[in-house]
Amino acid sequence: MDRRQVLKLLALSSTLPAIPAELFAAFREIHSGLGSVPSLKVLSPHEDATVSVMAEMIVPATETPGAKDVRVNEFVDHILADWYFEEDRARFLAGLADVDTRAQNLFHKDFVDASPAQQSEILRELGENMAEAKAALADGPRGYRGALPEPQNNFYFMFRQLVLTGYFTSEAGFTQQLHEEIIPGRFDGCLTLNSSTTTKGN
Amino acid sequence: MPQSKNKFDAIVIGSGMTGGWAAKELTEKGLRTLVLEAGRPIVPEKDYVEHIPPWDMPFRGMRDQKKILRDQPIQSHCYACEETNAQFFIKDTEHPYTTHPAKPFRWIRGRQVGGRSLVWGRQCYRWSDLDFTANLREGIAVDWPIRYADLAPWYDYVEDFIGISGEALGLPQLPDGKFLPPMQLNCAELAIKQALAKSFGAERALTIGRVAVLTQSHQGRAACHYCGPCHRGCITLSYFSSVNATLPAAEKTGRLTLRPFSTVHSLIFDANLRRISGVRVIDSQSRTAIEFQAPVVFLCASTLESARILLNSTTPEFSSGLANSSGELGHNLMDHIKGGGARGIIPGYDDHHSFGNRPNIAYMPRFRNVKEKHPAFLRGYGLQAEGERQGWDRGAIDVRFGAGFKKSISRPGPWEFAFEGYGECLPHHNNFVEIDHNTVDAWGIPSLKIHCAFGENELAIRKDMSIAAAEMLSAAGARGIEPFTDDDPPGFSVHEMGTARMGTDPKTSVLNAWNQSHDINNLFITDGSCMASSSCVNPSLTYMALTARACDHAVTLMKRGEL
Repeated sequence: MDRRQVLKLLALSSTLPAIPAELFAAFREIHSGLGSVPSLKVLSPHEDATVSVMAEMIVPATETPGAKDVRVNEFVDHILADWYFEEDRARFLAGLADVDTRAQNLFHKDFVDASPAQQSEILRELGENMAEAKAALADGPRGYRGALPEPQNNFYFMFRQLVLTGYFTSEAGFTQQLHEEIIPGRFDGCLTLNSSTTTKGN
Repeated sequence: MPQSKNKFDAIVIGSGMTGGWAAKELTEKGLRTLVLEAGRPIVPEKDYVEHIPPWDMPFRGMRDQKKILRDQPIQSHCYACEETNAQFFIKDTEHPYTTHPAKPFRWIRGRQVGGRSLVWGRQCYRWSDLDFTANLREGIAVDWPIRYADLAPWYDYVEDFIGISGEALGLPQLPDGKFLPPMQLNCAELAIKQALAKSFGAERALTIGRVAVLTQSHQGRAACHYCGPCHRGCITLSYFSSVNATLPAAEKTGRLTLRPFSTVHSLIFDANLRRISGVRVIDSQSRTAIEFQAPVVFLCASTLESARILLNSTTPEFSSGLANSSGELGHNLMDHIKGGGARGIIPGYDDHHSFGNRPNIAYMPRFRNVKEKHPAFLRGYGLQAEGERQGWDRGAIDVRFGAGFKKSISRPGPWEFAFEGYGECLPHHNNFVEIDHNTVDAWGIPSLKIHCAFGENELAIRKDMSIAAAEMLSAAGARGIEPFTDDDPPGFSVHEMGTARMGTDPKTSVLNAWNQSHDINNLFITDGSCMASSSCVNPSLTYMALTARACDHAVTLMKRGEL
C-alpha cells in the first residue's frame, strides 16, 4: 500500500472508529529507517548495568513490558551522546558514579551488586534528595507560562525524566501501557474513564 | 529582451496563506498566473510527517537540540518547530536580520510552497466594526478605509471554501461565520465554562476555538482524524493550507504556473508608464537572475518580506522604497502581545477523560472595552484556553518507583487548565523596519533591521490578561493558581502586520481600500502588511478575505481596461 492509497482510504470515511493495523503499518513503512538504535556510545558496561537496573526498578516489567524490554538504557546512552550538552552529560555521569559511592558507603559494594532491598534503599535516598532539591525551589521564580520550578540539575530527576520518556515513547509503552493511538479517528471531550483504559487523554 | 515565456497575465509573489488565495482567485477568473515561491516544492505524500510515532523519532520528539540551536536558534522558539518538521521553518543561518540589542524581535518564517500556512495555528475569527472603527474613534494612526460590511461577504466566501468548525455566539465584537459543526470542549473546559457563566454572566463566554480543521468532509477534503500535530502536515488535507486547498484549486484551472526556488529580489518600476514592469528573481538553486512580466503584480510574501522587497526596490523617484510616497512603508509594525495568563488545577472529574487529540483550543472572546471603558488600556484581548489531564511526565518528580508507580503514573493525572491572552497591539510609526545594507541573506539580498517594541498600552494589556485569568480561575474553584506574565518579545505571536497600511489618504497610507498601491496602479499587497490596526483576533482569515476581495477588484479593473 502506498501513501496515495492510504489517503484514499482515509478520505473515504468521515470518521474512523479505529485505524486499521494495515494502514498504520503503511505509514510506518514510509518513514522506516528512523530511530534505529546504535550500540552504546557513552556508557561503560558497568555504567550501563547500573542504568539498566535502576530503570527497571522504576518501570518494571509487569503484565506489560518494562524499561529493560524496551531498552531504555540505549535511549539514555543516545541522549548522553547526542542530545545532552557537555555540562549535562558530566553532571549525569557524576550522579551515576555517586550511586555507587552511596552503595559503597552503606553496603560496601557497587549498586549492581547490592540486594534488591539495598538498591531500593538507595533509590529512596535519591528520591529524598530530589524532593529536597525541589522544595528548595518552591519560592523561586516560576518557569515559562507559570510552570513550577523543577530541580533540573538533580541527577535523579534527570534520570527519571529520561527513563519515563524512553519508556512511554517506546512502542510498547505507548500502545500497551498507555493504550494511546497515533490515529484515534475521533474526538470525545468528556468520557467516563474505563477502568482498563489508561489513556492520558487529550 | 525578456522572452514571452516569462510573460503572464498576473504574478503572485509568495505561495502561503494569501499567495495561495491570490493564485486561486486570479486563475479561476481566467488569468494565466505565475506564482513565485522562494522555497522548495512540497509533496504531501512525501513531505508530510504527522503520523511518525515517537519511537521512530531519533530523539523521541525532544528535537535534535544541538542541531536546532545551531541552525535554527530563532525558529526553535516556535512551538510548532518540532523534531520531525523543522524543515518547514527556515534556517536562521541563511536568513540573518538585525535588531537593536534591547529590542529583540522573533521572526518566525517558512520558505517552501505553502509558506507558513503549513504550520499555522488555524484559529479563524472575523473582525468586527469595533476593530475597524477603533483608530478613528481613538484618533490613533489612520482610519481603516473599509468597514465590516465591506468584508462580510468575502468572509462568507472564504469560509465556504476553507471550512471552519466553530460555535455561533451572536456577539457583536466577534461576528459569527459559516461554521461546520464545532468540536467538543473537554470536561475541565465545560466545568470552567459553567462556573464562569454563573459568576460573570454572558460577558465571559468560553467557547470552542473557531478553527480551519474539518469536522466533516468538505469541498473534497476529508474530516479530521484527530491525530493531533497539524503543523507536521495532513495527508487527508483536513486542515486548511494553501498546499491542501487553494493551490490545488488554482492548478485545476490549467492556468497556474508555480515556480518554486524563486527568490524575489525586487520589483522593476517603469517611471514613464508609472507601472510595475517586471519582477527580478534570483533562482534559489542556480543563483541566476531572471525577470518576469505581467500587467498586475500581487505581493503576498508576508508582512516583513513584502516590505523588504519594496524597500529593496528603490528608484530615483522612490528613493526610500517603491510605492512609498507616504513614507509609511515599513512602519507601523504590529504583532499581538501574548505571554499573559494563568494556570491552575481543576478539582474533580477524576473518572473522566477525553479521547483523541483535538487540534484546537477553547476560546474566550474579548470582554474588555466592549461595553465599559477599562481605566488602564485601550482595546482588548481574547483568551485562548485549554484543559488537559496531566500525563506521565508528572512522574519524574515523583519519588515512587516499581509496579505500583508504573500503574499509577500510566493513569491520567489531575485536570489542568490554562488561559493565555492574545492582545491587540497599537500601530506606532516608530515600530518599523529598514534595510540593513551590511547584512545580506544567503542569496546576497540585503536583509532587514527591525525596530519594534511593545508600548505601555500593550504591557498593560498583558498584565490584565494575567489578573483577569487568575480571577476567573479562582471564581471557578481552581487550585494552585499560577498567574504569569512572560516577557515574550514582538514577533513571537507570528501575527506581524502593518508595514504597508491601507487608508484613504495617499499621504498617510500605502494602500487604498482595495489593497492597491496609491502610487502604482498595478501593484496589490494583500498579506498582513496591509493592516491599519491589529484587532486582538488571529488575523489570517482577514488576510484571506482581503485577498479574495482585492483579486475581484483587480480583475474588474482589468476588464474595464483600467489597470
